[in-house]
Amino acid sequence: MVAETKPSILETESKANIRKVKFEESCKADGDLKYADPRVAFEKELYGGKHLEVPLRSTVDKFALLPAFLKVKGLVKQHIDSFNYLINCEIKKIIHAKANEKITSDVDPNFYLKFTDIFVGKPCVEQDYIVEDITPHQCRLRDMTYAAPISVDVEYTRGKEIVVRKGKDGQGALVIGRMPLMLRSSRCVLYGKNEAELAKLGECPLDPGGYFVVKGTEKVILIQEQLSKNRIIIDTDSHGNVAASVTSSTHERKSKTNLAVKHEKIYLRHNTFGDDIPIVIVLKAMGVENDQEIVQMVGRDPKYAGILAPSMQECVSLSIYSQQQALEYLGSKVKSSRNMWVKAKRSKVDEARDILANVVLAHVPVIQYDFRNKCIYIAVMIRRMLEAMLNSEAVDDKDYVGNKRLELAGQLLALLFEDCFKRMNGELKKHVDITLSKANRSTQFDIAKCMRPDFLTSGLEHAISSGNWTVKRFRMDRKGVTQVVSRLSFIAALGHMTRITSQFEKTRKVSGPRALQPSQWGMLCPCDTPEGEACGLVKNLALMTHVTTDEDEGPIIALCTTLGVEDLSMLSGEELHAGSTFIVFFNGTILGVHRRPLRFADHLRKLRRAGKIGEFVSLHVHSGQRCIYIASDGGRVCRPLVIADKGVSRVKEHHMKELKDGFRTFEDFLREGLVEFLDVNEENNCLIALYEADATPATTHIEIEPFTILGVCAGLIPYPHHNQSPRNTYQCAMGKQAMGNIAYNQLSRMDTLLYMLVYPQRPLLTTKSIELVGYDKLGAGQNASVAVMSYSGYDIEDAIVMNKSSLDRGFGRCIVVKKYSTSLKKYQNRTADRIVAPQMIATGKNNIMAVASRCQLQDQDGIAAVGEMIRPGDIYVNKQSPINTRDDVPNPMAMKDSAYKPTPQTYKGPPGECAVVDKVLLTSNDENHFMIKALIRHTRRPEIGDKFSSRHGQKGVCGTIVQQEDFPFSEKGVCPDLIMNPHGFPSRMTVGKMIELLGGKAGVMSGKFHYGSAFGEPSGHADTVHAISNTLIRNGFSYSGKDFIYSGITGHPLQAYVFMGPIYYQKLKHMVLDKMHARARGPRVVLTRQPTEGRSREGGLRLGEMERDCLIAYGASMMILERLMISSDQFQIQVCTVCGLLGHYNHNLKMSYCSSCKNGASIATMKLPYACKLLFQELQSMNICPRLTLSEA
Amino acid sequence: MDTVTSYTRFPTVRIRELKDDYIKFELKDTDPSIANALRRIMIAEVPTLAIDLVEIETNSSVLNDEFLSHRLGLIPLKSERAMEMRLSRDCDACDGDGSCMYCSVEFTLNVKCTSDQTLDVTSHDLISSDPSVVPVDNNLAQDINGFDAPEARGILIVKLRRGQELKLRAIARKGIGKDHAKWSPAATVAFQFEPEIHINEALMESLSLEEKKEWVDSCPTKVFEVDPQTQQVVVVDAEAYTYDEEILKKAEAMGKTGLVDIISRDDSFIFTVESTGAIQASQMFINAIEILKTKLDAVRLSFDTEEADDQFGELGAHMRGGGM
Repeated sequence: MVAETKPSILETESKANIRKVKFEESCKADGDLKYADPRVAFEKELYGGKHLEVPLRSTVDKFALLPAFLKVKGLVKQHIDSFNYLINCEIKKIIHAKANEKITSDVDPNFYLKFTDIFVGKPCVEQDYIVEDITPHQCRLRDMTYAAPISVDVEYTRGKEIVVRKGKDGQGALVIGRMPLMLRSSRCVLYGKNEAELAKLGECPLDPGGYFVVKGTEKVILIQEQLSKNRIIIDTDSHGNVAASVTSSTHERKSKTNLAVKHEKIYLRHNTFGDDIPIVIVLKAMGVENDQEIVQMVGRDPKYAGILAPSMQECVSLSIYSQQQALEYLGSKVKSSRNMWVKAKRSKVDEARDILANVVLAHVPVIQYDFRNKCIYIAVMIRRMLEAMLNSEAVDDKDYVGNKRLELAGQLLALLFEDCFKRMNGELKKHVDITLSKANRSTQFDIAKCMRPDFLTSGLEHAISSGNWTVKRFRMDRKGVTQVVSRLSFIAALGHMTRITSQFEKTRKVSGPRALQPSQWGMLCPCDTPEGEACGLVKNLALMTHVTTDEDEGPIIALCTTLGVEDLSMLSGEELHAGSTFIVFFNGTILGVHRRPLRFADHLRKLRRAGKIGEFVSLHVHSGQRCIYIASDGGRVCRPLVIADKGVSRVKEHHMKELKDGFRTFEDFLREGLVEFLDVNEENNCLIALYEADATPATTHIEIEPFTILGVCAGLIPYPHHNQSPRNTYQCAMGKQAMGNIAYNQLSRMDTLLYMLVYPQRPLLTTKSIELVGYDKLGAGQNASVAVMSYSGYDIEDAIVMNKSSLDRGFGRCIVVKKYSTSLKKYQNRTADRIVAPQMIATGKNNIMAVASRCQLQDQDGIAAVGEMIRPGDIYVNKQSPINTRDDVPNPMAMKDSAYKPTPQTYKGPPGECAVVDKVLLTSNDENHFMIKALIRHTRRPEIGDKFSSRHGQKGVCGTIVQQEDFPFSEKGVCPDLIMNPHGFPSRMTVGKMIELLGGKAGVMSGKFHYGSAFGEPSGHADTVHAISNTLIRNGFSYSGKDFIYSGITGHPLQAYVFMGPIYYQKLKHMVLDKMHARARGPRVVLTRQPTEGRSREGGLRLGEMERDCLIAYGASMMILERLMISSDQFQIQVCTVCGLLGHYNHNLKMSYCSSCKNGASIATMKLPYACKLLFQELQSMNICPRLTLSEA
Repeated sequence: MDTVTSYTRFPTVRIRELKDDYIKFELKDTDPSIANALRRIMIAEVPTLAIDLVEIETNSSVLNDEFLSHRLGLIPLKSERAMEMRLSRDCDACDGDGSCMYCSVEFTLNVKCTSDQTLDVTSHDLISSDPSVVPVDNNLAQDINGFDAPEARGILIVKLRRGQELKLRAIARKGIGKDHAKWSPAATVAFQFEPEIHINEALMESLSLEEKKEWVDSCPTKVFEVDPQTQQVVVVDAEAYTYDEEILKKAEAMGKTGLVDIISRDDSFIFTVESTGAIQASQMFINAIEILKTKLDAVRLSFDTEEADDQFGELGAHMRGGGM
């Protein structure tokens, strides 16, 4: 064995390739150090150092780790973790930040207000000065915001005395606003509750939380993807020149610094400077006056120095030699800032120095104008650029997942909170200044009484409810950050929580950011992305992904120093790149260098596995850049993997048994160093085996379960690995439109639109993911018996033929529930809307009935009665509004009936259909607005044109419905529920669907659920076709799944065997009833008198340009005339043949008259489209005079 | 016309198995069209009774009114009387309000859960106004353990929890499966063409015992057997053959094409009929024949003219009695 020494790497080598070889050797040497596993040593002894072909090891079924992981981490843990971090830590950091902590006054220098602590309390609402606890479900029903008070401890001056106010029991003394709470976060009432307790709170236990309830609507803050902050990204611009860019981000400032190559010289480009600055001048301005040192810092290697020479020369040609000269040069290039007039004017030199210290590369701290760290940082940037110029492979990939950070709800809210907090402080300060500047005040000024909590409350609430994130400080103005949680199906809601949007423009036609990245393996789902413009930009997290939150940097930096990281200030430029030293980066800043990088990495990893530093700290040795990157920042994606020593998994059979018996949790696996989290960058240092059996001695990690590379939506697909890839993508989109059960509390919810299946089923062919996410409990589909054959010709183009008897028995039957709500408004003159009983007449002894037929469904309170039929046009709330809502009314509480006008709320539904009033809710929100919400329920059975889909992206509409006796049957008496055309298979290549059919059939016969998890065959999470076929044969079926079928029409056997069995079918929300539309005559637009547009306005069917072109080409002129004018907006006008202007017909004189000629002699009548007449008049109103010249045709 | 040969055949029925809700029989000496007609009639045209109108007074259960009504409709009712009853649309004795004995039967259901345990509302809770029309009761009494078998508890309609109540009036009417599957008395009606299997003994003898066994085992269903005594392949259950042709493929693969000859007879059918319990399976078949006869009568009577003869050609004569 090689001893600990690494002889070769200590020698300084000038040639990179030699170094690389040597480096690999040293890797081996380093690896051998870890040869401490007694088992390996034993094997070595036993077999004389020879390895067997297959090492002796049993494969452990690690699947049980997955439910254990989801138990502690959950599917939306990233949201909840990030929000918890905000309300527990980040918020405290924000108020303790130097800029925020204190409010002082320009008027009274003694005055101050200091925030000493901040707390986010329990969710509650204050109503009529009574504080009441609230639950999320209450908020949903009552259109309130689920929020908790933010309270602070303060210390301030009141006159001469200093007042210290402290709250107790985790509550501050002063409430400064209300923070919308994320469901299931640590402050939420649902936190840590079991199923029964959740049920009591009216909450579905399967609902993952992770969203907000703002004004009654559920809002999710989408995960935002962006390029990582504070990292050097080497890129090439459009001219092929190398450029380095860093987006610095600190709490105070965000800035982007670019280094670019122009005419073979390197320049700094920054928006505080009006011009590109030669980089050498920048370095000189930072105090590196010595050219030699600059070269040393970048690298003494002649190949680098050669490229650097022109830049050096330029500096000389500008005759800048000293720091002072450089600063003066920079000062002359500084853009004059707008608020110059505010501050006292400083010298240009000072200004330039300040910019260099605080704005350029803001994340590299400069303490007391010691630019050393920043110089080295720039030097490293230059070095990386030079490297990229010599070797194009060194250019960074912007789309690489390791270069991305995900911004979660916590981070986004932190930005917003800080902004609101700053604005609130600004307002307070203004108030203080005004009050204190008044000479004689009657009472002593107490600032605690001036705090206005609605500033923060409305700021946060408004941002979440509108989705507009505006932070002026950082010039951030994002739209659509939040979305309403889609409650179309359970999976839609779940999928919404894991969605990631990119900041890229959707319109740009770039393929890079949209393409599937190899590095997203295991982190982001490869299947789940929408089609169309957002394709590839909107992504979804995979099943086991975790997104990190920020971690304290101090201890890790201290630890690195202890482990031998040498501080930069002690090194010369020469030593920076000397020999075996590696530069250590920590969260984007340079910490120092280390001489034994691999040992350092090994130590740090061991410490992490031992739990001494956070489990999400990642460490990544980049041998090409000779750097070590340590990251503890938030927003990195990572996932758990089983650690392997020399290819032998650390997780053994007994561990799994302990887990099964409940003696062990996922946390224990982490703590004992059996499993660890790896982020994308660290994965580069690892060799990860898919299965334990594939592990070689070089293997460092083993996947827990391969199917976890898929996300929630793709996890529903059985055998997705047998399908053509786009089909899985289609299914991911369609699974979100499938109806079924939404949540356990679906009947107590008041959603605007709710689609439910009458008899939802659990899929016969399940996957492990389905069980993990709970789709088996809240299914969205039914197991249909499908025959794959051609039938009747109404099955072309993916249409399906359905069995009428199946529909009679409830297949595909669905309930559509729609919310109609109204509120009783209060007006400024203290009048208010009211609800009155409809006019009734007695119809019998005890019966009374409303006079108007459209009021007959109402109770005597004037509101629709539950259980009543409702038809389009019926009035569900008999509301009246006061006619006068402005002027004062003598007695607003008891006005005459004549002072009200009826404003009835009518139901608009599909014509001809009658629905039922399902539920009526009378409530008021926290602002005491009385509301009435009525749910109207409509039960529908499938009809021709309704859309169905299997779980393999095979959608189709119902082509025809056929009587059962006409349906084919097998001699066992099996008659399919639907018939699918076999042409759906060859081009789509959805082999998974065929296996689903086989597996489903075998499942029915053997009475157990079969599995079809992705890539599950080797691990037993998917049944093989072979095993399924055997089951089929055992039950007297053909191994191929084909049956001998008789025609139901003739009774003769069919010519071919028919592939028949159960497939899980989803009913999609697109139904003919909601879409069908026709019109003969109908409403017209007032302005143009043309028919209205769109189904909702009962609009006309447009004869478009292309149709018109056809008619022109065909020469059907009269047809065009009829379609475009007579049937649309024909109008008769009077035209004066003399002046060519429009006249009019005077009905009193019974003659036409031209008002401009004052004459009725020569008027002609003609027909033209009203829109044309309108155009003439509009032109006239703009002082353009259109004149018609008529001639006899 | 006199030269037309007679189409008349004299089909026979041989009953193999007979239970209340199950019948298996052979239908011989007829053609597929007749067999299929009978099957179709059993599914779609044998009348039964099913709940068709539901008037809900109180429903505080978890299921909504339409949902419950749908479930109620699908409960099979004993419908021995159905053949004599009138369809409510043809009934001139009433206006379809359910109080008419010729066309409808009234049911009431009134259940309230007062205990802490979940209460199952089943078809037993439906109280009929006519003792002969009651929900089907597969009275399997008790299973071995002494507990009520799930079937004995009736068909589940809805579960109620404490305080929930269900009170309704339902009217059952006569109808046929063509209108709605709830009126179909058939759970399963299927027939198969009787297979006729001829083993080529000479060729079979050329096989060794192992080969015979291998060949016999290649059939997914148990059709053949090697007689342990004579070591000859015998047909044990020809009807188990599902026309899968596995056995022919196997023979071909063994190089013994023509080892066995299988023909499906198109004049002999084996019917399997399962009833929902609304009417006895045997009665269902008899009713089907009855209905087929009336339908044919209708055709015969309405077209008993010379024009009809022209229209139907040879068949016209046939319909009037096979040209006799």
